[in-house]
Amino acid sequence: MAVISLLVLVVGPVYTPLSSSSPPMTRKDLLDIESLSREEIELLLDQAGPFKDLFTRSVKKVPALKGKSVLTLFYEPSTRTLSSFEVAAKRLSADVTNFDVPHSSVVKGETIKDTIDTLQSMRTDYIIVRNKMPGLPQMIARETKACVINAGDGAHAHPTQALLDGFTLREVFPELMGKKILIVGDILHSRVARSTSTLMRKLGVEVAWLGPGSLVPKHGPKDIKRFTNYDEALRWAPDCVYLLRVQMERQAVQYFPSLREYTKLYGVTDERFKQLEAQGTYIMHPGPVNRGVELCDAVMEYNRCLINQQVENGIATRMAALYWLKPNQQK
Amino acid sequence: MSKRLTESDIAQAVSQMVNQILERNASKEFVLVGIRSRGDEVAERIRSALETAGMNVPMGVLDISLYRDDLAHLKDNPKLQGSNISFTVDGAHIILVDDVLFTGRTVRAAIDALTDYGRPTKVELAVLIDRGHRELPFAPDYVGVDLQTQRMDYIDVKLQGSDGEDSVVVIENKV
Amino acid sequence: MLLLIQNARIASEDNDDLTPADVLVENGTITQIGQGVEAPAGAKVIDALGKILMPAMFDTHIHMREPGQEAKETIKSGTEAAINGGVTGVVLMPNTAPAIDSAAMVRMIYDIAERDARIPVYTSGCITKGREGKELAGIDGMLNLGVKMLTDDGDAVPDLLLLKHAMEYASEFDCFFASHCEVLELSGPRALNEGEVSHRLGIPGTPACSEEICMDRDIRLAHATGARLHIQHVSSKIGMETIRWWKQMGAKVTAEVSPHHLLFRDEDIGDYNTHYKMNPPLRTAEDNKALLEGLKEGVFDIIATDHAPHRAFEKSQDFVTAPNGITGLETALVSLYHYFVKKGEFGWGLVVNRYSAQPRRMMGLDAVPISEGGKADFLLFDPEGETTFNKDFMQSKSQNTPFLDKTLDGSIDLVVLGDEVLLER
Repeated sequence: MAVISLLVLVVGPVYTPLSSSSPPMTRKDLLDIESLSREEIELLLDQAGPFKDLFTRSVKKVPALKGKSVLTLFYEPSTRTLSSFEVAAKRLSADVTNFDVPHSSVVKGETIKDTIDTLQSMRTDYIIVRNKMPGLPQMIARETKACVINAGDGAHAHPTQALLDGFTLREVFPELMGKKILIVGDILHSRVARSTSTLMRKLGVEVAWLGPGSLVPKHGPKDIKRFTNYDEALRWAPDCVYLLRVQMERQAVQYFPSLREYTKLYGVTDERFKQLEAQGTYIMHPGPVNRGVELCDAVMEYNRCLINQQVENGIATRMAALYWLKPNQQK
Repeated sequence: MSKRLTESDIAQAVSQMVNQILERNASKEFVLVGIRSRGDEVAERIRSALETAGMNVPMGVLDISLYRDDLAHLKDNPKLQGSNISFTVDGAHIILVDDVLFTGRTVRAAIDALTDYGRPTKVELAVLIDRGHRELPFAPDYVGVDLQTQRMDYIDVKLQGSDGEDSVVVIENKV
Repeated sequence: MLLLIQNARIASEDNDDLTPADVLVENGTITQIGQGVEAPAGAKVIDALGKILMPAMFDTHIHMREPGQEAKETIKSGTEAAINGGVTGVVLMPNTAPAIDSAAMVRMIYDIAERDARIPVYTSGCITKGREGKELAGIDGMLNLGVKMLTDDGDAVPDLLLLKHAMEYASEFDCFFASHCEVLELSGPRALNEGEVSHRLGIPGTPACSEEICMDRDIRLAHATGARLHIQHVSSKIGMETIRWWKQMGAKVTAEVSPHHLLFRDEDIGDYNTHYKMNPPLRTAEDNKALLEGLKEGVFDIIATDHAPHRAFEKSQDFVTAPNGITGLETALVSLYHYFVKKGEFGWGLVVNRYSAQPRRMMGLDAVPISEGGKADFLLFDPEGETTFNKDFMQSKSQNTPFLDKTLDGSIDLVVLGDEVLLER
């Protein structure tokens, strides 16, 4: 019992050198990035390549998951992520069922445990879950024999987004070690920022955050740089600027005075875009973008804007994840 | 009794295959597709020998991992290395190349994989070693060497490119 | 009944030294303490060689869930859990359903306790009706029935003017206020410390200042109005310092610390373990250290568990949805021994003072030292024994504790109250 150990848990430096020989490990679940080793992340990114190559064939489907069932359980609406997983599963020949859950919340009376028992009874092989409750995918994973993929749990983790981001950046920088990425926006509420920051750091990428003081956590990992203004951040010369979506709906309690002020301070305005273009900086965004808020129109036409590649790579990466996981063998 | 093939045995087997292929296809257009892993290396040796004989034959590589019929039974899924088929499969005459022909399951997977690239007019099969014990109705068109084996024997094939040496050893009754 | 306990070592609140002696109990009264006491005819004799005889404990912060949530705990199961943990008196919190906010509710609690409990049960009463923070509860009626502690525990009273009026009104009577400190706007409904762990888990945390602001606010108000105030379950270093400062200023304030805030920290939550979820939340190693310092120094007058039972299925929900709180009655004394007394952090004198004598005094009761002529109200503790907190051992209806299925050093072998042996093993 880790009750009285006086050791303070030391997190980081996260980068670990590759051990010379590592057998391909298989997991039951993909729940977060934190628990993945660098080897596992690199394996998944390596595997995503061959899947992406399939997309140029006339038949884009392979029979790897023929006869397997994939259940999507999305408690939060998300057309993009849901479709991406659906396409990925179908291209692996799995049967996909969307478990229709009321988006408001879990039905009163039925506990999450009851829902999990229901899922278990359906004998599905893979469960892809998105929920606003952090840690819920972990719970489902513990209670079911199926493979569980976390498609986003609250502000906690979004591992497949981080993997597709890593894959996308690696396409332009085959050697990621020592590259620099600046993540801009609402870090506090962003599972994308958490997972992508963790993955990048595990791959040896330097990570920095920039955003309104009320939306950048004070207690994040120590090796992540914090910038308080754009000029300073751009002088750091990031190889990639990763813009987070401004969650307009979160403005019930104000975190910053207005969108106008946000854009002025943290948006890629025309002026900042010129500077980024001049520095040859790549731009990423998990989508959907708020044009005129996080970025100006010109960014979308920029040849180093990787947003569309991120979408395509999302499918390949999710195929790689589905192919990698193995349901519990026993019984 | 353990059977072995030496480097020169293997070279002879490859040239045997090359001769058979030349004999039947001297003036025809065809392509080679090697099955990962080691089938691609055998295919490359054939391609190179054909080139020496004055024939330039396109070559592709096929990773059949996603088409295996035993994925559900494996503890770890095989690591993907990817396929590389840069020519048009539609209407092509394809010679599939592998190192060892055993149950025929790999060939089944390879044909399925190939046909997802297009509709070849003809598919033939060339193998370095035929060790028998088919479980599916396939017969090779070109064979380097026939080896008599028991069902439970294990054939350890090493090729220069993958393993740093050329050798084949039949290990009896490997459990 | 005649009871002779031989070869015991007696603990008292005055110092950490243990006094070897035999103790004779006749009809519920300690009649003789000394060496070589002869066993009278028909006496039950217990050889306590190597064991420690000490005043039984008293816990001023208990959620018994009755009425309203009897599936979690009842006064019957909760008082049996208390006995199992060496506790012979409890003060209930009023956040039942309905809340204990009137003479009628207090009467009902006493009726149930009289029927079901083998130990004295005291209850606190609400400051506001239904703990809603809007209207004052029936304070006079409750005080007439012996209620001493007024609290809306589970919540703070958010309306400062109402709280000021309550304090001005009730400070004229023989009672005191107890504050659960939390500024709701800063904390919201999730019990998790704001820090590295909350960042890692992706759950917005409750900063310690949410508790500290409210604590300071309530003490200022009590100080200004002349009310006596008790601060419940302090969890942070600055909270401890706040109380220390106010005590130096001469404020009439007392404070409690719970074993879990001394022992655990937010890192223990690991992968969303809800057995470490309570409000106020577990904070950091630095806070553990400061709280221990505050306990030793006397900034904390008492130890109280905030025993908060919940059903297994409730705690098996995700971290945000799972209810706050862990049980504590059965584990408190043994865990204090295992983690502190045994390691020499503090002695038995402090345990007896903070978890037996001072809590009783705060409630207007006399302490129960082991002395000739005193009432038998004690327990026998075996420092060589061990206790495994499994489902068979625990008498509470709920087992929501991080100690579940863990084994700690020390065991409570005997609990006596008056003429009755409440527990013997």
